[in-house]
Amino acid sequence: MPSAAELAWLIPVLPLLGACVTGLGLISFNRTVNRLRKPVAVLLISCVGAAAVLSYAVLAEQLAGAGPIEVLFNWASAGTFNLQMGFRVDALGAVMLALVTTIALLVMVYSDGYMAHDKGYVRFFTYLALFSSSMLGLVISPNLLEIYVFWELVGMCSYLLVGFWYDRDAAANAAQKAFVVNRVGDFGLLLGILGLFWATGSFGFEEIGARLSEAVAGGSLSTGVAVILCLLVFMGPMAKSAQFPLHVWLPDAMEGPTPISALIHAATMVAAGVFLVARLQPVYEPFAAVQLTIAVIGTITLVLGASIALTQMDLKKGLAYSTVSQLGYMMLAMGCGAPVAGMFHLVTHAFFKAMLFLGSGSVIHAMEEVVGHEPVLAQDMRLMGGLRKFMPITSATFLIGCVAISGIPPLAGFWSKDEILGQAFGSFPVLWVAGFVTAGMTAFYMFRLYFLTFEGDFRGTDQAIQAQLLAAAGKASAADDSHDHGHHASHPHESGWQMAMPLAVLAVPSVLIGLLGTPWNSRFAGLLDPHEAAEMAEHFSWAEFLPLAGASVAISVAGISVAVLAYALHRIDLGTAVAARFPALNAFLANKWYLDDLNDKLFVQGSRKLARQVLEVDAKVVDGVVNLTGLLTLGSGEGLKYFETGRAQFYALIVFGGVIALVVLFGALG
Amino acid sequence: MAFPWLSASILFPIGAALLIPFVPDEGDGRKVRWYALGIALITFLLTVGGYLNGYDPSVAGLQLVERVEWLPDLGLAWSVGADGLSMPLILLTSFITALAVLAAWPVTFKPRLFFFLLLAMDGGQIAVFAVQDMLLFFLAWELELLPVYLLLAIWGGKKRQYAATKFILYTAGSSLFILLAGLGMAFYGGGIPTFEYTSLAAKEFSTGFQVLCYAGLLIAFGVKLPIVPLHTWLPDAHGEATAPVHMLLAGILLKMGGYALLRFNCQLLPDAHVRFAPLLVVLGVVNIIYAALTSFAQRNLKRKIAYSSISHMGFVLIGIGSVSALGTSGAMLQMVSHGLIGASLFFLVGATYDRTHTLQLDDMGGVGQKMRKMFALWTVCSLASLALPGMSGFVAELMVFVGFATSEVYSLSFRIVMAVLAAVGVILTPIYLLSMLREIFFGKENAELASHSNLVDAEPREIYVISCLLVPIIGIGLYPRLMTDTYRASMERLVGQEDKAMAHLREATGLPGGTPLAPFLASGGAQALLRAPAVG
Repeated sequence: MPSAAELAWLIPVLPLLGACVTGLGLISFNRTVNRLRKPVAVLLISCVGAAAVLSYAVLAEQLAGAGPIEVLFNWASAGTFNLQMGFRVDALGAVMLALVTTIALLVMVYSDGYMAHDKGYVRFFTYLALFSSSMLGLVISPNLLEIYVFWELVGMCSYLLVGFWYDRDAAANAAQKAFVVNRVGDFGLLLGILGLFWATGSFGFEEIGARLSEAVAGGSLSTGVAVILCLLVFMGPMAKSAQFPLHVWLPDAMEGPTPISALIHAATMVAAGVFLVARLQPVYEPFAAVQLTIAVIGTITLVLGASIALTQMDLKKGLAYSTVSQLGYMMLAMGCGAPVAGMFHLVTHAFFKAMLFLGSGSVIHAMEEVVGHEPVLAQDMRLMGGLRKFMPITSATFLIGCVAISGIPPLAGFWSKDEILGQAFGSFPVLWVAGFVTAGMTAFYMFRLYFLTFEGDFRGTDQAIQAQLLAAAGKASAADDSHDHGHHASHPHESGWQMAMPLAVLAVPSVLIGLLGTPWNSRFAGLLDPHEAAEMAEHFSWAEFLPLAGASVAISVAGISVAVLAYALHRIDLGTAVAARFPALNAFLANKWYLDDLNDKLFVQGSRKLARQVLEVDAKVVDGVVNLTGLLTLGSGEGLKYFETGRAQFYALIVFGGVIALVVLFGALG
Repeated sequence: MAFPWLSASILFPIGAALLIPFVPDEGDGRKVRWYALGIALITFLLTVGGYLNGYDPSVAGLQLVERVEWLPDLGLAWSVGADGLSMPLILLTSFITALAVLAAWPVTFKPRLFFFLLLAMDGGQIAVFAVQDMLLFFLAWELELLPVYLLLAIWGGKKRQYAATKFILYTAGSSLFILLAGLGMAFYGGGIPTFEYTSLAAKEFSTGFQVLCYAGLLIAFGVKLPIVPLHTWLPDAHGEATAPVHMLLAGILLKMGGYALLRFNCQLLPDAHVRFAPLLVVLGVVNIIYAALTSFAQRNLKRKIAYSSISHMGFVLIGIGSVSALGTSGAMLQMVSHGLIGASLFFLVGATYDRTHTLQLDDMGGVGQKMRKMFALWTVCSLASLALPGMSGFVAELMVFVGFATSEVYSLSFRIVMAVLAAVGVILTPIYLLSMLREIFFGKENAELASHSNLVDAEPREIYVISCLLVPIIGIGLYPRLMTDTYRASMERLVGQEDKAMAHLREATGLPGGTPLAPFLASGGAQALLRAPAVG
C-alpha cells in the first residue's frame, strides 16, 4: 500500500474535481444546480474533508520521521530544455497542508450558515473548492515555476471571490485592484525566476541556492546581480503577503464575503508569500543585504498596519490592517534568518485570525438583521456595542482571539510573536524596538475592537448615526429603500450552529497551539528543523527569556489597559486627548498614510493618461500617415471612390491579370 | 498511392462550396448552414485523418507530400506537404473554421454567399499552410484576401467599405514584396527558375541578397501579423467584421504572418535572420506595450480586443527573434494558443453585441445580472487571454520568456532591458482586460441599456462553441507537450539551421565563440542592408 505522501497529489486534485463537477453543472444546468444547495455543499465539503484526512496522514508520517519525497514528470520540453512538474512533500509542506485543509473545511461549514440566503450559494462553494485546490497545489510545489503557476491561480480565485457580489461597484473595484497589484508583484517574481534560471539553470529551491552562492563565490556572478535577482523574486511575496508598499489591495479585498476574508485574506493565501520566503531560505540566506531588506520591509509593514488599525471604524477593515501588521511580523522573522519562527507565527496567526474574522462575520450577519444588507452600516462599529448579551459564543471566541493576538501567555500568539521579537532583538535591535512598540499598539487596537463591538449599549437602531454614516459614504438614506427589507429586528441574534461550531473549534488551537512551540522544547521547530530545535533548547536560559517575555507582556498589558480605560470605563477620551491635539497625525492615519491617494494620482491616472495619449498617436499619426498615403497614391478622391463602390472584381482582375502575365512571361522564356 | 489527405482538405471545401447554389434553401439560410457545417466538419476530419495516418511528429522533414507537375515550363507544380511548422496550423484552421460556421448560425442576409465564402476561405487557408511552392503560396495568399474583402464589405458594420478597402490596399500592397522576393529567389543563380521550398532551401544565397529579401518579406508578413506600425488595418477590419469573420481573422489570418516568417524568413534566409533577430525582438516588445496601452484606452469593445491581439502577437516576434529552440517553440505555441483564445473572445464579442446592440463600453454596465453564463464565459476567456496558468497562453508566454532570457545570442544588458519591458505587458494585460470585464458586467444594471436591449443569457450553441475552444486551451495549459511534441522535431531542425547561420556570422565578423552578438547584430544587419544593392 502506498504511503500517504505518495498519494499527496490527490490532496489538491480532490477539491479540484469537486469544483469541476459543480462548475460544469452551473454552466450547463444553471437553474437545477443552483437549487441543489445541500448536495453541492456536501459533495464539496467531503472532497475537502477527504483532502484533510489525507493531509493529516501526511503530517503524521512526517512527525514519525519520514523524509521528504519528490515525484516529478516532464511537463514541457524543447531542444535540450526540460521543464519538470510534480509534487514534493516535506515537513514544511505537511504543516501547511494540514493547516489549509483544516481552515478550509471549517470555513466551508461556516459558509453554509453565512451564505444561506445568498443566491450565489453554489457558485460560492465552487470557488471555495477551487481556491482550496490551488492553495494546496501551491503548498506541495517542488519548484519555483510550479509555485508561480499556483500563485497565479490562488490570485485568480481571490479575484473571483472578492468580486463575488458583482453588483457592488466597490467589490468590482477591489477585485480588480487585488489582481493588478498582485500582478505588479508577479512581474518581479517572473523576472526573478527567469534571472535565477539564467544564473543557475534550475527552478529547484536547493539547487538555486547552492549554485547561486557557488557562482558568486566563483566570481562568475557579481553579488549585486544576485541580490537584485533575490529581491525581484521577493516582489512576489511582497504583493501576496501585503507588504509595504504593495499592501494596498488587502484592506479593499474585505469587500468579499467574510468567510473569504477569513480563509484567503487572513489564514492561507496571504501567508503564501511568507511560505515562499521560507522555501527560498537556502537562496536568500547567504546575502545579508537581501535579509536586511526583507526585515526592514517587514518592520515598516507591521508598524503601518498597526498604526492604521488604530483609527478604523469598520470592523473588518480593522482586522484587515491587523493582518497586514501580523504579516509584517512574519516577514521580519524571515529577514532575521528565523524561518521557523516566522512559520510558527504563520500557523498560530492562521488559527486565531481566521477565528476573529469568522467572528466578525458572525457579528455582521447578526447586524444585517437590524440594519439591512448595507456593508456601510452592518460593518461599522459605531452602530454595534453590547453584542455580548446577544451573542455569547461569538463574543467569547472573539475575546480569546484578542487575547491570543495581543500576546498574553499562555495563548498561541504569545509564543510565536515572542520568538520573533527575540530573534529580532538578536539580529536587528532597532527593528526590535519597532516590533516591540507595535505589540502594544496591537493589544490596544484589538481590545478597542472588542469593546466597541461587544461591550456597552447596543447602538444599532440609532437612526441618526445610520443616516450620518450613509451620508458619509455618499449613499442614499436607508429610508428610501426600506420597503426592500422593512421588517428589521430590533436587536441581533447569535448565529446558527454552522457558524458557531467553527468558532468554537478554532478557539482550541488559538489557546493551545502555542504550547507546541515553547522555546525550551519546541515540537514545531523539531518537526521543521530538528537541528535548530536542538540548538534552541540548548541555548535556552530563563535569564534571557524572562526579561524579554516580561517586557512583551508588559507592553501588551499596557495597551489593553489604555483600551479598557478609553472604551470600557470611558475614563479618557482619546478623541480629544490625542486626535484633537495632533490633527495631522490623526489625518495621516485615517487616510491610510495617503498611499491610496498617491497610487491613484501616480499610477491609475498616470497610466490612463498615457494610454489615451498613445491611442491618440495611433489614430492621428500612425493611421494618419496611412490614410494620407492612401489618398496620395490614388491621386484623388475619385480613385478612392472607385474602390469604395465595392467592386472587388477590380482587384481580383489585377491579381489574375498579373498571374496570367507571369505565365505568359515564363512561357516565352521557357 | 496513399490517400491525398492534404489535397483533399484543400480542394474538398472549395469544391463543395461551388455546389452551394444548388442546395435547396428558401433563402433564409436554414439549410445552407447545415450543409456548410457538414462540409466544414468533414474538412476538419480530413485534416485530422491526415495527421493521424500520415504524420509522424518525431520526423523533422516534410510529410504527407503530394506532388503533381502542373506547368512544367514554369517549374510550377502542385506540391503540398506538412511538417511541424504547418501541421498545427492546418489543424487549427479547419477547427476554427468549423466553429466559425457554427458561429455564423444567425446570418440571414445573403446566406448562400456568406457560407460559400467561409468554405472557400477554409480551403484557401489550409492551402497557405500546406503548399510547398512559393508561387502556389503567393496565389493562395492572394486568393484568400478576396473572401475576406467581401465578407467585410458586405456583412460589416457602418464603416465597412472603408475598412474593407483599407484591408485590401494594405495587404495587396504588401504582397507585392512577396512576389518580388519570390521571383528574386526563384531566378537567383541562373538556371531553371524554381519555386519549390526544398530547391530554394538548397540554394546558397549571398548574405546581401538574403538581407534584401528578408526586409521585403518582413514588411509583407509584418502587415499580416501585424507588427506595429503596420497594424492600422487591423482595428478597422476587426471593428467592422461580424463574429464569424472575426474568429477567422484573429484565429487564422494573423497566424499566416507568423507562419510565413518562420517558413521563409527563418528557414530560407537564416543568414539574414540572425542579423535581423534583434530587430524582431525590439519590434515584439513595442507590439506588446504599445498595443496594450491603446487597448486600455479604447472605448469600443471590438477594437479593444483587436488591439489585444496585436499585443499578444508581440510574443510571437520575440520568440522567433530569440534564436533558441525553446523561444521558437513558444512562438509557435503562442500562435496556436492565440488562435484559440482570440477566436473565443471575438465570438463572445459578437454574441454580446447581438444582445446589447452597442459596442461602446460607456453604454454598458451591470449586464452580469441577467447574463450570468455569458459573464462566466467572458471571465474564463479573459483569464485565458491574460495568460493565467493552466491555460495555453501562459505556457506559450513562459516558453518565450525563458527561451529569450537564456538565449546566449544576446548580450546580458539587451536581454535584461527587453525582458523587463516585455514583462510590463504582464501588468498591462490584466489592467485592460479586467477593466473591460468590470465595465461590461459588474455594478448595478444599466437601466437604459436594459430597456432597449434583450439581455438573454447564453444559449447552448454559444456555450458549445466556447467549450470546444476551451478544451484545447486548458488541455495545452495543463500538459503543453500535447501540442509542442507535434512540432518539436521540425523546430529543432529549424533552430539547428539558425545556429549554423550564427556560426557563419561569428566567422564573418571574427568574434570568438560564445560572445554575445547583440547589439552588434543590429548594426551588422543595417550595414549589410546598406551594402546589399552592390552585392545583389
